[in-house]
Amino acid sequence: MFSRLVLRAAPAALRNLPRPVTVGVLHTNRLLHTNEQRLAPLPPLPEKGGEVRHGLIPEEFFQFLYPKTGVTGPYMLGTGLILYLLSKEIYVVNHETVAAISILAVIIYAVKRFGADVAAFADKLNEEKIAQALAVKNDAIKSLEAAIEQEKKEQWRAEGCTYLFDAKRNNVAMLLETNYRERLMTVYSEVKKRLDYQVALQTLKRQKEQDHMIEWVEKSVVQSITPQQQKESITKCISDLKVLSKSAHATV
Amino acid sequence: MNLTLFDQFSPPSILGVSLLLLATLFPALLLPSPNNRWISNRLSTLQSWFLLLITKQMMIPLNKNSHKWAAILTSLMVFLLLINLLGLLPYTFTPTTQLSMNMALAFPLWFATLLTGLRNQPSISLGHLLPEGTPTLLIPALIVIETISLLIRPLALGVRLTANLTAGHLLIQLISTATATLLPIMPAVSVLTAIILFLLTILEVAVAMIQAYVFVLLLSLYLQENT
Repeated sequence: MFSRLVLRAAPAALRNLPRPVTVGVLHTNRLLHTNEQRLAPLPPLPEKGGEVRHGLIPEEFFQFLYPKTGVTGPYMLGTGLILYLLSKEIYVVNHETVAAISILAVIIYAVKRFGADVAAFADKLNEEKIAQALAVKNDAIKSLEAAIEQEKKEQWRAEGCTYLFDAKRNNVAMLLETNYRERLMTVYSEVKKRLDYQVALQTLKRQKEQDHMIEWVEKSVVQSITPQQQKESITKCISDLKVLSKSAHATV
Repeated sequence: MNLTLFDQFSPPSILGVSLLLLATLFPALLLPSPNNRWISNRLSTLQSWFLLLITKQMMIPLNKNSHKWAAILTSLMVFLLLINLLGLLPYTFTPTTQLSMNMALAFPLWFATLLTGLRNQPSISLGHLLPEGTPTLLIPALIVIETISLLIRPLALGVRLTANLTAGHLLIQLISTATATLLPIMPAVSVLTAIILFLLTILEVAVAMIQAYVFVLLLSLYLQENT
């Protein structure tokens, strides 16, 4: 607790020292990062790692030696170095050398055989990650586009509404007209029925009167036929028939 | 420098300063730290995938309580794997060939599983001492046997790792000595020995990975028993 007091009082105490001393003293209660930290966007990572030759030596070393020693320079340097180490027995050849050769052979074989596959696998893992995110984005885009299409269709439908209303209006007018005509027809037929009834009544009355009159006339005529007239008409008929039969005989 | 066969097992020192701690902690420097990128480079991606694989495989058989052990078991696995594999390089010191180090790893972790079991579920933990379905006559003998088996576990864990790695390294040294010595005398036999060495090296790579895996697997099994 005492140490906490000291630690907290230290910066103020240090600042109260004479000016030349405070300039050199580190103010411990201030962060060392004084510039704004840039959190986003991060600078992009390089696509590939540095170029290496023979899996160990960076390409820059060869480029560095190229102007002075040409293409074979680094190789001469390497060979010379190795031969120097061997001949001066700075590096002693013992059983570890054989073990080193063996493990190196295993490592080189493993890298040559499985290196590309492992790299492809790592790339595939990253690709899958990206593909997932892309899929989400594409799905969102697709659904939004579909929504836009739907909206456009709805707008077109709304535009076409005027035609729809016109057609409906015509339809309704036609229905009203038809109804009106039908009712007119009904009225006409009803009225005609009444008038026909009256006409039929009159015709019947006239007919009956006529029939009655004819009957009365026939009855009075039949009553007025005397027996003398009957006989006369019969003899006339017979003489006529005889004349006719004579002319008929003549033609046959 | 002319090395004896056992010089590889002595911890390295410069001017009397022991570099054992440096040798033990060095493999951690080789692992890339996960950066704040969404898509990182191949090594980071592979590392994350590998860690995920290990953690998932190890934690599936364990119940919820023992998921607290995820960090230590996964880091132990990666630690042992790296140390074992790096020890196959020439002139490297493998810390896991030292019995002291392996016992220091095995004993506390095993003891922790035992204490977890005895504290949280004492009857179930003690019940593991008697397998199901044993005939009544055998019960006393079996309990004694199971207790001995339980107490020997840390020793077995430590010694298994030490013995496997030490034996492997020693064999590599012996066969490479034979190859080197036979080269001027009988080159054909030397070539044969070299082929054997090549195969042995492949075996040692496999053993290195398997031993790390077995260590951690057994610890997770002991944990599974006790939680």
